[in-house]
Amino acid sequence: MREMIISELSQALQELARGFAHFLPRLIVMLILIFVGWVIAYVVKVALRSILRLIKFDKLSEKAGASQLLTKAALPSATELLSRLVFWVVWLGFILLGVRVLGILGLQEQIARFFLFLPRLFVAIFIMFFGMLAASFFSRAALLAAVNANVPSPRVLSLAVRSIIIVFVLSIAFEELGLAEQTMLVAFGIAFGALMLGLAIAFGMGGRDLAQRFLEKRFVRGKREENDDELSPL
Amino acid sequence: MAEESFLTDDFLRQLINVGEVDILVGLPTHNNAKTIGSIVHTIQSDILRCFPRERAVIINADGGSRDGTPELVTGVSIDDVRPASNPYALRTLHSISTRYAPSPSSGGALRTILAAAELLRAKACVVRSPESANIESEWLSKLLRPIHRDGFDLVTPIYRRHKFEGLLITNLLYPMVRALYGVRIREAYMPEFGFSGRLGSQFLGQNVWNDGADGAGVELRFTLAAITGGYRICQSLLGDKEHIERRGADLVPALRQTAGALFSALEADFPVWSSVTGSQSVPTTGTDQEVSLEPVRVNRKRLREMFSTGVAELDSVFQSILSPSTLAELQRIARLGEEEFHYPAELWVRTVYEFAAAYHKSVISRDHIIQALAPLFRGRVFTFVIENRNASADDVENNIEGLCLEFERLKPYLLQIWKSGE
Amino acid sequence: MPLNRDVLWYKDAIIYQVHVRTFHDSNGDGIGDFPGLEAKLDYLQELGISAIWLMPFFPSPLRDDGYDIADYVSVHSSYGTLEDFRKFLGSAHDRGIRVIIEMVLNHTSDQHPWFQESRSSRDNPRRDWYVWSDTNTRYKGARIIFLDTETSNWAWDPISKSYYWHRFFSHQPDLNYDNPAVREQMWNVMKFWLEMGVDAFRLDAVPYLVEREGTNCENLPETHGVLKELRRKLDEEFPGRMLLAEANQWPADLRPYFGDGDEFHMAFHFPLMPRMFMGVKLEDRKPITEILQQTPEIPPSCQWSLFLRNHDELTLEMVTDTERDYMYDTYAGSKTMRLNLGIRRRLAPLLDNDRRRIELMNGMLMSLPGTPIIYYGDEIGMGDNINLGDRNGVRTPMQWSGGRNGGFSTADPERLYAPLIEDPVYGYPAVNVLRQTETEHSLLYWMRRIITVRRSTAVFGRGSIEFLYPASHRILAYVRRLGNEAVLVVNNLSSTAQAVELDLRRYKGNILIEMSGKNIFPRVSDVPYLLTMGPYQFYWFWLRRI
Repeated sequence: MREMIISELSQALQELARGFAHFLPRLIVMLILIFVGWVIAYVVKVALRSILRLIKFDKLSEKAGASQLLTKAALPSATELLSRLVFWVVWLGFILLGVRVLGILGLQEQIARFFLFLPRLFVAIFIMFFGMLAASFFSRAALLAAVNANVPSPRVLSLAVRSIIIVFVLSIAFEELGLAEQTMLVAFGIAFGALMLGLAIAFGMGGRDLAQRFLEKRFVRGKREENDDELSPL
Repeated sequence: MAEESFLTDDFLRQLINVGEVDILVGLPTHNNAKTIGSIVHTIQSDILRCFPRERAVIINADGGSRDGTPELVTGVSIDDVRPASNPYALRTLHSISTRYAPSPSSGGALRTILAAAELLRAKACVVRSPESANIESEWLSKLLRPIHRDGFDLVTPIYRRHKFEGLLITNLLYPMVRALYGVRIREAYMPEFGFSGRLGSQFLGQNVWNDGADGAGVELRFTLAAITGGYRICQSLLGDKEHIERRGADLVPALRQTAGALFSALEADFPVWSSVTGSQSVPTTGTDQEVSLEPVRVNRKRLREMFSTGVAELDSVFQSILSPSTLAELQRIARLGEEEFHYPAELWVRTVYEFAAAYHKSVISRDHIIQALAPLFRGRVFTFVIENRNASADDVENNIEGLCLEFERLKPYLLQIWKSGE
Repeated sequence: MPLNRDVLWYKDAIIYQVHVRTFHDSNGDGIGDFPGLEAKLDYLQELGISAIWLMPFFPSPLRDDGYDIADYVSVHSSYGTLEDFRKFLGSAHDRGIRVIIEMVLNHTSDQHPWFQESRSSRDNPRRDWYVWSDTNTRYKGARIIFLDTETSNWAWDPISKSYYWHRFFSHQPDLNYDNPAVREQMWNVMKFWLEMGVDAFRLDAVPYLVEREGTNCENLPETHGVLKELRRKLDEEFPGRMLLAEANQWPADLRPYFGDGDEFHMAFHFPLMPRMFMGVKLEDRKPITEILQQTPEIPPSCQWSLFLRNHDELTLEMVTDTERDYMYDTYAGSKTMRLNLGIRRRLAPLLDNDRRRIELMNGMLMSLPGTPIIYYGDEIGMGDNINLGDRNGVRTPMQWSGGRNGGFSTADPERLYAPLIEDPVYGYPAVNVLRQTETEHSLLYWMRRIITVRRSTAVFGRGSIEFLYPASHRILAYVRRLGNEAVLVVNNLSSTAQAVELDLRRYKGNILIEMSGKNIFPRVSDVPYLLTMGPYQFYWFWLRRI
């Protein structure tokens, strides 16, 4: 019986060794891939950073208002952030590739799904970025228009515009990512609707006079007693 | 790159029929049927009276009128097809019309008129806005004679205004053009003006037409082109300036046409204005006329309020545009009551220059920069009105002169902030 | 070539206006005469003209270039005898050339025997032959015609101590047409020449025959009565002869002189002429088309007479002040060129000796509706001498060659009735018939050719006119039609090349055939007909449907 145990053990050990020997090259390949991936990712990061600096990406993101957000969140500048993000994504890609080489089954599926997920992630980020830009631009436009038209509480209006756009953009981004699509849509719908209703009430009640004057100026010709006390600038 | 021509075939055919002319009158219109009739009849009789032997043409650049304006303009042509049109005219007078776009834009209208002037080899041209009422009956010859007879290239008008009207011109455009370009042109942005065929051709060739903003303020660009091109400029007193419709509320569009056009021109003209110092005056013709001093109602309270509101609400915007010290000053003034409120000349000049520099660097969208200037301008108007409340015509003139000198004095400051951050 | 017997011969005629004194001198006295003129009839026949209009050749003190007549039925001795005239008339007729002479009805010279008698005393039988008055205040409504020399229409006669009426110079007293004896005598005078064979009369100064108080004494009904009577007698006894009216009036005022075809056959279209010059200077057809639009219809047997220049000044009576100033400034820069509300220059100097403009003006002359008159010397482009007084600058000797006296006379140059033009541009060595006959590109050759084309069809003389109004005002275009024939005339009045689109839809399907070269031009279709024209160029096209 002792011989059986020893032979079983040795067999098991041998199998382990064999399995290990079988496994080792793959491990080594994986490590090589990870290393190479790191190098490539680094190169890409540096290249991307130079390109972004060249096109003054920081400036663009400043206009988008993204820079302010980043600083508040104690994050580095947009260029830096994007470069690093790309670095990690590339390296991660190579790591996952290496893991795939290992041949562990369940993992492969997950990896495949991850790679499918990546483009959508980029699109979502893209949408968010330009959405922020738009939100910033339009909210400022609304602010200026409201101030120049002597509309009360211009900042509220500006904020409202910004919020609407951000919420809108967020919901598109989430839909793109496929995360809780329906929920987001519904939530957006509710939020947007509520906002609009609120504004309508506020506008209707508070801005009644303004609305009247506005409509008069547009559609009623002949009633020109407007602004007698305003000077002509030209 | 071959651009599609903006002149229609039909218009070109009409130009062929007109042939070479000595005098061209350009008339941009859009739904002006109520007033255009008397304007073109005056033009016709002025041409017959002052230039009876010259070949003349009236070019109507219409921006999609639907009230029969073009027909009213072409109706004053004199030819032998309708013998009763005018028995005392020596020559045929063509009056032709073209629709340059489905909706009006002053850039499109001017471009069409300049193209016609070049193709017809017109020597002396004049553009008349259909919106000005009551300007002197001799306006046509006042704008044309310096060009036709004395060889000038540009004749800008000088209007007799109320001392509180046209403050955008007297407090911003005039002093700034004077300080930066070194030429004392009173109305660099002008709805009517005279120009020579030479200058027109040159401006037509410049690529200002695709600069966006739909050609707003293209008239100002025209004046600046004349200055930078070294053309001979003079001014002519043209009588009262009365708008057919008073437009106090249209400050933002007015700013776009003046400050906006000026700021955007500063980019390309940098080599010129950066090296100019001081300013030269420009020959002026016509009898001197007193500025009108009658009391006029001004809602001063609203001016000051809009200033304060603007400063408060647009804080985030101003931070991108103004220097911290200027912004702090403005905030301080904004808190003052009506009695103590004062927007001094120097601060105003700094404000304007900082805006110009911010525009140059595109710190935010350029149109937003222009819009942001509106409330500040209102504050300046308030101060000007208070200062000149009891002033005589000479006093007003002196105050404006003082403001101009302030602009000239602070020009180095503009140069300094223009270059910083590049 | 015998004369054609057509009663309406004057509609197809090309008239050559000449003064016998200026044309050719046969006897060496320095003054042109009838034998000399007769000798040059071959030249005129080759030129292609079909009628000669002779300026007055009657005995006269010559204080108004022969319009002050002292004997109506004779020939001034300087120009020859009555027999010389007869011979000349016969020779002209042999060549198919008709002769038109002057008849000054309105007034005589104060040297005329009639006036000598009339003024001798108040009882003289011929007293009433002229218009006398004790005061000079009658007929205040009448304007003064010779503004540069006369201050009143009345002149004081020291012999009979009263005033006599004269619409022209004071030495040209007006005949009194209220007197039947006067009317009869004048008819007899005309009959004298008609029996000799003269084909037509140019009746000078007809508007002024009769005076009435309270009027402007022009174009009065009584005047028309006198003229109609003359015409009636003419038609009765001498059918086929013609009366041409000289009446410098607006076309509407001229219309009565045609009556219903029972007064004058022809009249000069005075207002058109300055407007043709204006149109070319302004480079605008408006003055030309407007005057023709205002020209009334005339009876079918009547005809306008067109001319570019004549022996008188280029009159600017019938234009507005603006137009007159313009014409003065552009055509008569120096004040000496201006006379009596007109400009005294010949055709070539008026047009700066620009060959193209001269051709254009002649082209219009030959293609507008009417009978054209060519002033002697204009067919070779003669110049003028404005330093000769009055209107004599345009009446210098005809230049035949570069030889002695320009071939005009064998007399000493000092004896010539007027000096020759000698300057390098227009002088007789440069501008003369001989040289131009020898060169094919000369103006003379060109005139012969265009007259030939003109005479090849009756459309120009007898056809209707329909103006086309192309949008380009520098182009004067019209269609002449007669029966089935149609000719399109297009003139570029501008000094620069032009492109013009003509609306010829009415003539759709016609092929254009250019009349001088006979080349085919594209056929007319629905689209506007495009023509490109050089400076001052003109086209005459047959519209032929084949």
